[in-house]
Amino acid sequence: MVRAESNGVSGETSEARLPWEGQAYSVKRFGTTITNCASEPVQTPGCIQGHGALLVLRAHDLTIAQVSDNSGALLGHPPEALLEQSVSRVLGEVRAEELRRFLACEPVDRNPLYVLTFPGHNGSALDVTVHTTEGVVIVEFEATGHSAVNGPDYFSLIKQSVHRLQSVSSLQALGDTAVAEIRGLTRMDRVMVYKFHDDGHGEVVAESRRPELSPWLGLHYPAADIPEPARALLRRTWIRPMREIGAPLSELVPLAHPDTGQPLTMTHCALRGPSVMHTEYLQNMGVTAGLTLSIRRGEQLWGLIACHHYTGAFDLPYNMRAACELIAQIVSLQHKAAEDRDYLSRQLRFEEVQRLLISQAEHEGGLPAMIDGPLTLVDALDAQGAALFHQGRWWRVGQTPQDHELDVIADWLIKRPEFTSSTEAVFVTDSLGKFMPDNHDLSINAAGLLALPLSKRGKNLIFWFRPEMLRTIEWGGNPDDKPMVPGPNGLRLTPRRSFEIFSDSVRGQSVPWQPWEIELALRFRLVVMQLVIGRAEQLTELNLNLARSNDDLDAFAYVASHDLKEPLRGIHKYAHQLTDSAALSNPLDAQRVDGLIRLTLRMDSLLESLLHFSRVGRVALELEEVDLDELVHEALEMVGARRAEKPSEVVVAPQLPHMRADRVRLREVFVNLLSNAFKYNDKTNVRIEIGWYPAHAIDRKPHWPSDVTQHPILYVKDNGIGIEARHAEQVYKMFKRLHGRDEYGGGTGAGLTIVKKLIERHGGDVWFDSEPGVGSTFYVSLGMQ
Amino acid sequence: MSASSIHLSPNLPTSLLVEDSDEDADTVVEALRRCGIAGRIERVTNGDECLALLRGMSAMHPPSLVLMDLSTPGTDGRDALRQIKEDSKLKSIPVVVTSASANPRDLEFCYSAGANAYHVKPVSHPHHLDAMTRLLQYWLGAVTLPSYRVSTA
Repeated sequence: MVRAESNGVSGETSEARLPWEGQAYSVKRFGTTITNCASEPVQTPGCIQGHGALLVLRAHDLTIAQVSDNSGALLGHPPEALLEQSVSRVLGEVRAEELRRFLACEPVDRNPLYVLTFPGHNGSALDVTVHTTEGVVIVEFEATGHSAVNGPDYFSLIKQSVHRLQSVSSLQALGDTAVAEIRGLTRMDRVMVYKFHDDGHGEVVAESRRPELSPWLGLHYPAADIPEPARALLRRTWIRPMREIGAPLSELVPLAHPDTGQPLTMTHCALRGPSVMHTEYLQNMGVTAGLTLSIRRGEQLWGLIACHHYTGAFDLPYNMRAACELIAQIVSLQHKAAEDRDYLSRQLRFEEVQRLLISQAEHEGGLPAMIDGPLTLVDALDAQGAALFHQGRWWRVGQTPQDHELDVIADWLIKRPEFTSSTEAVFVTDSLGKFMPDNHDLSINAAGLLALPLSKRGKNLIFWFRPEMLRTIEWGGNPDDKPMVPGPNGLRLTPRRSFEIFSDSVRGQSVPWQPWEIELALRFRLVVMQLVIGRAEQLTELNLNLARSNDDLDAFAYVASHDLKEPLRGIHKYAHQLTDSAALSNPLDAQRVDGLIRLTLRMDSLLESLLHFSRVGRVALELEEVDLDELVHEALEMVGARRAEKPSEVVVAPQLPHMRADRVRLREVFVNLLSNAFKYNDKTNVRIEIGWYPAHAIDRKPHWPSDVTQHPILYVKDNGIGIEARHAEQVYKMFKRLHGRDEYGGGTGAGLTIVKKLIERHGGDVWFDSEPGVGSTFYVSLGMQ
Repeated sequence: MSASSIHLSPNLPTSLLVEDSDEDADTVVEALRRCGIAGRIERVTNGDECLALLRGMSAMHPPSLVLMDLSTPGTDGRDALRQIKEDSKLKSIPVVVTSASANPRDLEFCYSAGANAYHVKPVSHPHHLDAMTRLLQYWLGAVTLPSYRVSTA
């Protein structure tokens, strides 16, 4: 006997041989030896769920070839009394004839259909369903369940369900409706739509549950949770009922067909014995009864409708199952259309965002408006971060790598062939880390990259980033938020274990970019490039306008100098003429006229400063090599009058550098700085120091402008009154004086404004350190070297 | 005051003042009085009147000096200056430009167009009066002007 030869049930078999090698498998006998999901023969479990009975008939004469070992209890005849007998032995002649007729005219191949109701041995009514497979007839007997007599009218219920399913407008609504309908039909505790992603992992996308249960909606589960043998089954059959998880199983007698020696293929049996893996998995989740329906897209398994019950056995009578099966089939049919509508509406939504972004950029300062505007690039695609390289710098929004990392990616990308394609220049990856093995952070925060070049040459780019999937998804079975639940056979299938296996397989990967998203990005690129070209044209126009407004400014300066001054001169003249007569009549009037005269003169000097300032901005610089030694001494001579007012000591560092500058204007800078140094000084001994630092010779202080230490820095240091920090910006404002009009020698308040403008014209910076009461140091760095 | 009403006297050295500001014109008249030189001021208010007058009068009696404000209404001082200096019959008449503008471009323009002097008018009346006085003393008293060489040609 085959069975006698391999008596080794206890697991002392070699790795290469299956424990049941050479004989038919039975989950009841060999289930505990299963260590690997892929090796479990789930379609030929050799056992059925114990609440029903099963007969295997020969197709030609309906004699009983195999029978479940519980036939005595349910059907009134033990197996030995039924084997090789006609089926009429169980059903009686009338029902046997009914079965014969049914088999002759109904499409029962791999399609279980209800034939008749049969009075069971223990008094309960049994639904009899039949289907054929691989040349045998399989007859299943199941209790009709609580719903048999006064149960719901499944036909009218399903009619309404179908109507509701057909009127949904989106994939989500389809899923939501399906779970609601099925829970309404079955009254099970939890019904979910479980979607398989491209990499095989699953996500709960719709759920209906008893309110007290915790929600699983949005949770993701590793692919290994539903192993390939189980998926293969779900591709072949619409429905998988499990009345009571862990309930006793009944084995077939004999296990192999007596004529062929083959185990029974139970793919389509409602009573099929559950796989050990599935049983353990459901038990880990506390499920006591379950119903699984498949959602298919053509031949593909798109997902499942999983129904859980958490308290004991749950009857799933034929009528109820048939109704659920119909819903699963309708969902499968509706699915593609709903998904297409969804993609279309998502696409439209992103297109709308992109349109708004473009208009935002058009009206509010160009491409950078896509980073710091109300809408950003992150909204334009389903991404967590975006970066733009534009005008020589990075603009970032959301979760992105740092500038220097972006530089590395960009430098690498620019050399890639994808980027030089004239039509479809785009680079897409869901695991950037593979290309950048040295940077671990990238594979986590920027695992997904969609990059677009914005110009044929040079570094003008848009990047979108997606982080590692493991970071963005809420995982069911994640060890961080669920306790580890050991199964009855160890840890082999606990949530924790399958999560670990899965997370290894998707480490460094982002949610993949869909073809329609890439398509969308490419279209966006075209529009952005048009915008860039448009901006360039605008810029040219702006420059023309600017030239025009410079001319206007010229005219304005002329107006200021002449047309405003002419009436001023008139006023001054009349006031002057009044002086003598006013002095004669009334001393107060004389004072007023003096005031008038003083004010016209002040107005005159303000106009002069304004005029000078406008000239500083417009007149072209005449750059030459300037000897700072000479220049500083000239400047000191020019402020000589002020210098003579008080005792003073001026120290000029030996050998000031030569610099490229406009001699006259740079001298004006020093005249202004030196003049201020003398002017704003209340010490009895004024001390002024002029010196310089070569490039990179001094550390930048925090409040200094960036990059200034890359050029030589000149300074004028005084022991004067100093400037309070809160006035740091104001000192450069036109006509802004920090002191009374006539204090510290008066003045219009244009000196530092003009200094700043002159230095800016040289591409440089001016700034200062100061301590009130101690002194100030003004620094000048010239960019054009 | 229109150009047609002006009759230049052959007897006194005459200065032609092109000035739209009455105040500035008064200052010039006062300066003439103060400088103690016998002379007349004839005033027009824009470049067109200036040119019409110069071109309409007898070559026997040209003004000794033109005091030209730069920004007058209509044909401005720059244009009038340019046309005087391009006109072979007029170009020997000294033109002293007076202007509130110290813009280097204005200075450059006027001197290259042939202006004989350029004076920036200060706002301060005493300074202005003083400067105009010295200016007239110089041009009417210190230098020899072509109008003294009466020619019948």
